[in-house]
Amino acid sequence: MVNKTKRYDKNPGIFGLLKPYRGLVIMLIVFALFSNAINLWLPRIIAHGIDAYTAGNFNFKPTITQFMLAVLCIFVFAYLQSIIQTYASELVARDLRTRLSDKISRQSYAYVEFANPSKLLTNLTADVDSIKMFVSQAIVSIVSSLFVIIGASILLLIINWKLALCVIAIIPIIGITFFLVLKKVRVLFKESRAVLDWLNKVINESILGSALIRVINSQQLEYIKFLQANTKAKDFGLSILRLFAGLIPVITFTANMAGLTILALGGHFVINKSLSLGDFAAFNSYLVLLIFPILIIGFMSNVIAQATASYERISSVIDSPELPETGTVTDNLRGDVELKDINVIYGQKPVLKDISFSVKAGSKIAVIGPTAAGKTQLLYLLTGLIKPHSGVVKFDGRPVDYYHSESFHSQVGFVFQDSIIFNMSIRENIAFSDTVTDQSLDKAIDTAELREFIDSLPDKLSTIVSERGSSLSGGQKQRIMLARALAVDPKVLLLDDFTARVDNNTENKILENVQKNYPGLTLISVTQKIASVEQYDQIILLMEGEIVAIGKHDELMHTSTEYVQIFNSQQSTSNYEL
Amino acid sequence: MNYDLNKFSELQQRTSILAALKRLLALIAHERKNLWLALIAILINSTVNLLGPLLIGRAIDKYVIPGNYHGVLVYSGILLAMYLCGLVASYLQTKLMGGVGQRMLYTLRNAIFNKLQQLPVAFFNQNKAGDLISRVNNDTDKINTFFSQSLMQFVGSIAIMTGAGILLLCINLKLGAATLAPAALAWLFTKIVSPWVKRKNATNLKSVGGMSAEIQESLNNFKVIIAFNRRDYFRKRFDSANKDNYVTAIKAGIANNIFLPVYGLLSGVAQLVVLAYGIYLISISTPDTKDAFTIGSLIIYLSYANNFYNPLRQLASLWASFQTAMAGWDRISQILSLETNLVTVKEQVIESSDSLLEFRNVHFAYPGGNEILHNINFKLERGKTYALVGPTGGGKTTTASLIARLYDPTKGTVFLDGKDIRSYQPDERSQKVGFILQEPFLFTGTVKENILYGNEIYRDFSNEELEDALKKASLWSLLAIFEHGLETKVSSSGDSISLGQKQLIAFMRAVLRNPEILILDEATANIDTITEQLLSDILKKLPESTTRVIIAHRLNTIENADEIYFVNSGEVIRAGSLEDAIARLLHGKRVS
Repeated sequence: MVNKTKRYDKNPGIFGLLKPYRGLVIMLIVFALFSNAINLWLPRIIAHGIDAYTAGNFNFKPTITQFMLAVLCIFVFAYLQSIIQTYASELVARDLRTRLSDKISRQSYAYVEFANPSKLLTNLTADVDSIKMFVSQAIVSIVSSLFVIIGASILLLIINWKLALCVIAIIPIIGITFFLVLKKVRVLFKESRAVLDWLNKVINESILGSALIRVINSQQLEYIKFLQANTKAKDFGLSILRLFAGLIPVITFTANMAGLTILALGGHFVINKSLSLGDFAAFNSYLVLLIFPILIIGFMSNVIAQATASYERISSVIDSPELPETGTVTDNLRGDVELKDINVIYGQKPVLKDISFSVKAGSKIAVIGPTAAGKTQLLYLLTGLIKPHSGVVKFDGRPVDYYHSESFHSQVGFVFQDSIIFNMSIRENIAFSDTVTDQSLDKAIDTAELREFIDSLPDKLSTIVSERGSSLSGGQKQRIMLARALAVDPKVLLLDDFTARVDNNTENKILENVQKNYPGLTLISVTQKIASVEQYDQIILLMEGEIVAIGKHDELMHTSTEYVQIFNSQQSTSNYEL
Repeated sequence: MNYDLNKFSELQQRTSILAALKRLLALIAHERKNLWLALIAILINSTVNLLGPLLIGRAIDKYVIPGNYHGVLVYSGILLAMYLCGLVASYLQTKLMGGVGQRMLYTLRNAIFNKLQQLPVAFFNQNKAGDLISRVNNDTDKINTFFSQSLMQFVGSIAIMTGAGILLLCINLKLGAATLAPAALAWLFTKIVSPWVKRKNATNLKSVGGMSAEIQESLNNFKVIIAFNRRDYFRKRFDSANKDNYVTAIKAGIANNIFLPVYGLLSGVAQLVVLAYGIYLISISTPDTKDAFTIGSLIIYLSYANNFYNPLRQLASLWASFQTAMAGWDRISQILSLETNLVTVKEQVIESSDSLLEFRNVHFAYPGGNEILHNINFKLERGKTYALVGPTGGGKTTTASLIARLYDPTKGTVFLDGKDIRSYQPDERSQKVGFILQEPFLFTGTVKENILYGNEIYRDFSNEELEDALKKASLWSLLAIFEHGLETKVSSSGDSISLGQKQLIAFMRAVLRNPEILILDEATANIDTITEQLLSDILKKLPESTTRVIIAHRLNTIENADEIYFVNSGEVIRAGSLEDAIARLLHGKRVS
């Protein structure tokens, strides 16, 4: 059809996707053609039988054998075709998902945040599904439909071209109707997709925020939100339905009109002996054969359109520039860290402004500052999770880009502020990096004061834990995250507000353990508590993305009013020195 | 109660599915009028479709063969009129049946969502978010595909088939029976094969759920994957989920595709039967017999056989989609069959009590876990500030969760205002109890929307009115760190704003609700100490009768408490004084 061919030119991509599977696709088409060719032949056998009978020379045996043979061949080819069809479409889907995940896994953190995990989830599931649908249905359907249409038309023309032309006239009529209706449907589909995204968002948030919803008892509110989205989705469904409700009867009616023509005109031909009765019957059969493929092509052009849209979305992920592995240095780190003139901008907003400081190997640094000062971003910068817009981060005097990422990450441990626990055993959660040995695992567990807790569990280290599961308390999660960072035997340890969820007693023990078990470690700790960092080599006071003061505790007490203010805010408990 | 959907026992599944199937039908019970109208339209439409060949056959026998062209034209006129009727009926059929399908889907989605809202927190903790999302999205979509695309064809095909079948039998009983015999075989085949097909689809849907859970987990925790250089972790985990999905999908696909070739084969056999048996019948019938079987009859018969077997072939592919939908429905009805274990009990005699909240002999264990709280007894009075301190894993959050009735005690009773907390209606309880959770959650939207979330009183406030209200509650100054104040955009996922900022929003949200008892579960842990002082000033300014329960590690946040409870190893012990609490904290043995 017109719109379809145009589409081929516009998006060679989706057909290009099939290139590696050429063999399968060809096999698929061949089998489909075989079974269809034989299918076309069936009415001929019947017509032949009827004509032979009227002529009085009908012979049962050859007719039945021919027919049986044809039917069996159709069965075999059709089943083979369906198996290859399933295999090919699932293979394409699997490979596409592998390519996607491979690509995503090589991307930066910023990219994944920007691309939005839930959108990527849709890419990996719904979008791949619509391409799968394209492979499994559209290719075969269109090829065999075209074949049937052309074949049936030729046969009709051979039998009686005048009558045939009348029948074939339905093809453009149906085609144009489809074109007009589907054009409208596509617009609706696109809009309804946005509504579905909205619907999914409400569902997702109601699942992720389930505890809050129950505390506030806002289930009704969520239900109303959902109802709005769902009603909208239903309205779209009904509008699309209305279009189809108009389309299908028109097509059936057109086909019926063709049947009527066969009767009126064909009857006329039979009466004046220019058409045999058998051929007349065959005409009726071919008409039935002809209608279905026309419908199929119409519906499939829609599948192609949806698959094309999905493939565009997927391509934008696959074709996005990859993070090149520029680093080659795999030297062991000493632990010197230096930041020079760093600026980080998020959207329009500067998050970090002109940050420069340096840290000597083995020293302890604290970063303190109010909420939203940019502390976490600073640590993200140090692990290479985000890149500065200007300035440079150096480890041991070399820019961080020079390091091979594997070697770099196995020497820098990071404890995130929010608890991130994977749904697997405690052992796998702690020994998350593959460089972890049993020895370093044990050391990390002991250092994070997790030994007793783990021993109290029935399955010990093999206990499966989960992020939202109730099996772990906030502090336990935090300590598992610390053990995860320590298990790589890092030279530099970054702690993001580690102390927030761990009680003082445990915190002190853990810090002592770190001192003892990881000598020479460079520690950079974002914290709120001055008391635990008073002895640190350097304290950096960060406010609104800028370094306000930097120095040892005693110095800052004299030079920085902001620091003193924070210190005072924590002073009331000073008589219970911890 | 077991809420883990993947640990559903066979028995639990089987008994509930029968009931669930009934519920699926109950969803369209109120559509009776539309269903009747649709049925009439379907009947008219199928009659037209069936009468067509009959009339054509008649015309051939009566007029074409004898050569009476006028009669042919008369029949053509009748057919035209009939086809016009069919046009209208077919439109109505699609519209009405499709409408029923769409509304059924709508009702179904509402039912699932409503059920999700009724289920307790325990349900969400026992199931992976990705799997739940897949159930609600992907599995309803399978049902959607069936209802929006296949149901009409399904009903239409069955109607045409039934009509064609009856006609086949009426025209010639013996030939009809012979023609329909292959269909009986098809029916038998379907009956035997369907459970297998459904099982394959169910396995596939399960692996889709697993894959979605895997993606969800990996992508949402991507920063850990990068920081620990485990990009291969994501790839490996995903690859195995992907491979699993691939294998199950192929199996399901092969199962789904078995119907069409078999039905095709049988319909071929049927055609052959008609041809052979028909010619035999013609050969034995003599022109003067009453029910003479003619060439015309044979042609009609062939087209009726087509009318019967073409829809049957369509049913073959529809049937696979039906089996997939049923497998999806099973997974959804697993959710629908769950009931909340937090039912509201009958109101009891109110005990006159000066305490706002009391734990009496409370024991608690998470489902399938060890007992977390052992025989807890304490009372909280109105207007006082309490601190719960203790080492991590001691049971503080669990205690707080029982106060907010996120869970019920396994033994013993929690009294709120002298009444069993279980006897409160949820809205009344949640008005009395405010709980700032350890992990703050934001809905995608603006800061304003999040602060006012679920707030009946301030819901319709304009920005100015809200500003006044916030100033009155001394909350206004907290908004300074949000770039665009109340209108700052936030999202439920990602690092668009810091954890501390999220905690601030959660704090404002809870305070504005003005609860009688406000629990802060390490709710300010990631907020700097200066802002935290502001927060504690705000807490002090809460109405005199408000009881505050603070769970925290920072001593300055708890030193203002009137009473301190030390929570450790499942026991809640009242500390004599701050010094006592600190002594316990410092020297008490940590058991976790």
